[in-house]
Amino acid sequence: MIRLQLEQLNTVQDAQAMLQTAIGVEFGTLPPYLYALYSIREGTNVQAKQRIRSVALQEMIHMCLACNMLNALGGIPTLSPQSYPGPLPGDIGPNGKPLQLHLYPFSPQAMEQAMAIEQPENPPDFPVAAFAEAIPKKAVTIGEFYRTLDQFLSTLPTGDWIAGRNQVIADQFFAGQVFAINQYADAHKAIEEIVSEGEGSSQGTKADPLDFQDAVAHYYRFGEIFHDRVLTKADNPLGYAWGPARLGVDWTGVYPAIPDPGLHDFSKEPPEAQAAQKACNQAFSSLVAGLQGAVTGKDGAMGEAVQAMFSLRMAALHAFTVPLADPSRVAGPAFLNTSSQGGHEA
Amino acid sequence: MSVLETPRIYFKGQVTWDPIVTNNYDTNYDETTGATIYPSAADKVKAFREQAVDAVATGNWNPHGTHRATFFETKVCGFDLGTGTKTADPFVSAGASFEGMLVDLEPYGTFSSQLFFDSLCFGVDGGYRILAPRTSRITARYINFRRNSVNTFIAGVASVVWQTSFAKTDGLRIDAFDSTALKGLAAAMQPDDIVGLTVRFNAYRTIYFDNADLTRGSPAGQAAAQALMAKLKSGGFQPNPARSLLVGVIGLWRKAEPGHEPDGRALTPIGNSALATAHARVSATSLTIDLANSVRETDKILTKQDLGSLSIVAVDPATQAAEPLGSIDYSQYNRAAYEASAGIVTVQLPAGAAQNAVGRNLEVRDAAGTTLLSELAMRAVPAAPNLYLDEGQNVTATFQVYDRGQPAAASVPVTLFRVDAGGGKPDNGTPMTTDAKGVLSIPVAATAHGITAYVPSFGAADQPSGGINPLVNTYMYVRVRPADPDVAQAPPTWQNVYNKVLANWNAMAPCMDNWLKLDDPAQVTAYGAMLKRLTDPTRFEAFRFMPVTRDMSAGERTLLYKFLDAVKSELELESIEAGPDGRSFAELSRSLRRG
Repeated sequence: MIRLQLEQLNTVQDAQAMLQTAIGVEFGTLPPYLYALYSIREGTNVQAKQRIRSVALQEMIHMCLACNMLNALGGIPTLSPQSYPGPLPGDIGPNGKPLQLHLYPFSPQAMEQAMAIEQPENPPDFPVAAFAEAIPKKAVTIGEFYRTLDQFLSTLPTGDWIAGRNQVIADQFFAGQVFAINQYADAHKAIEEIVSEGEGSSQGTKADPLDFQDAVAHYYRFGEIFHDRVLTKADNPLGYAWGPARLGVDWTGVYPAIPDPGLHDFSKEPPEAQAAQKACNQAFSSLVAGLQGAVTGKDGAMGEAVQAMFSLRMAALHAFTVPLADPSRVAGPAFLNTSSQGGHEA
Repeated sequence: MSVLETPRIYFKGQVTWDPIVTNNYDTNYDETTGATIYPSAADKVKAFREQAVDAVATGNWNPHGTHRATFFETKVCGFDLGTGTKTADPFVSAGASFEGMLVDLEPYGTFSSQLFFDSLCFGVDGGYRILAPRTSRITARYINFRRNSVNTFIAGVASVVWQTSFAKTDGLRIDAFDSTALKGLAAAMQPDDIVGLTVRFNAYRTIYFDNADLTRGSPAGQAAAQALMAKLKSGGFQPNPARSLLVGVIGLWRKAEPGHEPDGRALTPIGNSALATAHARVSATSLTIDLANSVRETDKILTKQDLGSLSIVAVDPATQAAEPLGSIDYSQYNRAAYEASAGIVTVQLPAGAAQNAVGRNLEVRDAAGTTLLSELAMRAVPAAPNLYLDEGQNVTATFQVYDRGQPAAASVPVTLFRVDAGGGKPDNGTPMTTDAKGVLSIPVAATAHGITAYVPSFGAADQPSGGINPLVNTYMYVRVRPADPDVAQAPPTWQNVYNKVLANWNAMAPCMDNWLKLDDPAQVTAYGAMLKRLTDPTRFEAFRFMPVTRDMSAGERTLLYKFLDAVKSELELESIEAGPDGRSFAELSRSLRRG
């Protein structure tokens, strides 16, 4: 599971650092989710795809909201793609062992990993609850991390907030989901949304936040796929049950993709596979550049990022169909930022 | 009668509209032939796209649109089981999920909008839920050009009624659990007379450039357009969706009720009435009237116009004697009431009063006694409000005639007018009569391509002599796509298939670059099977049909398929060998296309 290091929060700079960690966490979850999503064969796992896609989209939105908060506090968001396998930024894990995130094709393993990322403070009855042990002090879930941040932000004087600074808004994309952070009330609303959509926990006191009115939190959506059961309102002490309806998960409806293509030596692969990887990396690099521009106030950059996102999707879908030297295997995108520019644009 | 009876459930929220509007202009697109009008240039598609971007300055507000229409921040907000609007129920606050494709059958105007979609869902999988797979597309009617005279930017002044219905036999499902509202609705759906559910919503206060303060012709509006142009020219994918507020209602759909436009007794505006058309139902104890599209907002903060107490009377058509039925106070149609119950107002009737409405015309009058709305007893509602045909097809279209909301008798005289695509010029009309079930049958011979509207009339009050009045007339739009036999017979080369077929949409819809590069033969052939699936006419109603504008001719499809089939054969061969205002409504309709 993910456990983030809580540092002492005394200054705006401390909050900025915490937000930068949050941005890294949100951004870092995208590649594992997208790798699993794009590895699903056309025409299979419709409901699973829907759920993974919806979570990935929300992670992107959460990242934008975190960037908006950081911008509102005078910081400069930086999107630094991480390597896979590798830990999310700030993850110290329970017992000091951070979770090594892998790029897995769609599989129970990929869903288990996703649940571990999204696991709330008080996990429900299954299946990763066993991991919830001996968590060191100051090692917190993503939700707790945000709530601690929220508490600190509420103490900041009004003057620490800069209205209208480099904000990503929903004028073109994400209607009703992304909004400007101009003051603490906006930040509080953003954090509430991030936490409730991510972990779904209500104020960290109860494992079951399900009102069955809106889409369930990320943890439960991955749980539904893992169990191949729809999380269903039930008249029992928990208030819910797994099933009886199924999602129709077909674990075989997936391309035979290698995990962690970033570790793979493609120089020995056929030119088509090398070209497919190159196209994926170019698209991902464009995505990073577009997002970096968008969160640092460049006009039109979100449109460039979204276009790059579509290019990445097309490149990934193609890559998953290109055989490697071992013709029974394929490779999806490694999510490598090959842009020479890198860094951020202030 | 549908949403005018109980139980019903209310929702409200917002919707984004992201159409490509480049084809709204006759300089860019010939809606008669469905052909893109290219500028003279070596690379006609590139030049067309650039021209579309330059036209942002003169009103082409969304060249990078996707046609998508998506609900957001839309939630169930109340219900009425027969005892007034309530909110105490776990289903209240459930979210609504909807994504459709906004397409105008007649792209130059605003009378024929529709939403193609796959399903509508209130609530969530596993929880409280109404899951409604599509029975038919959502249709817009009764566009009200005077809804909010302050919100003037592009089509911001207008509101419109959207409606569709979902048959029980098409997979409609209610997961009620302990929700009283949903249990009530599910129970009411049981009788055989109930075909399913009707969903109606009113879209209003439409804003553009995500800015509610823009006004027509203002420097701020021009600046917003310039900013969009700059973004478009700098690259990337730059859609510019508009967005509207909406209030809506879910109710029962009974046999013989129209699925796609309001049923009941139609009360239409008289003269320069302050109210727009409303539909009403009279039961033994109450009168229910849908004012969702009727009462204007007077400012940017959506204050409803205060017309004082509105009286509802039943007028004897012979003697003009008026019998009072009840009244509606401002508190029942102000903004709060409007948003709480989607503009639907129920008036309790005194004992025996309902009888006074039988055979009489309902009227809504203001406090001074001036008639604002008056009933048109006879209405004819098309079975297919927006009908697409291919040149050479012969079909019989039908209108169900209603007499004060009930299916009419046989031999009712109707004059059917054919009106030009713009809705402005009617012919002399053809007299017709209904059959035994009150149905008007019209043979439609698609002998020539183009767009025509069919408008039934029962007398002077609804005769479309000045063109379609969308608050008064019911109508059917018919689009006949050209046969294009010359295109069908062209050799299936890439050059032909691109220039004669795909370039049309490649030019008009830059958003396609995100999914499939239509000018890339490698991509087109690689996704040939998918292309055939998405353009298959049997998927015409689906959300993901291509082209989204539904304007591919039979000849174009033939050429495309010949090309894809030939490529497929080649690939298979290779694989064996090598491995793997004072204006008319028609003018108003056109004018809303400008900034």
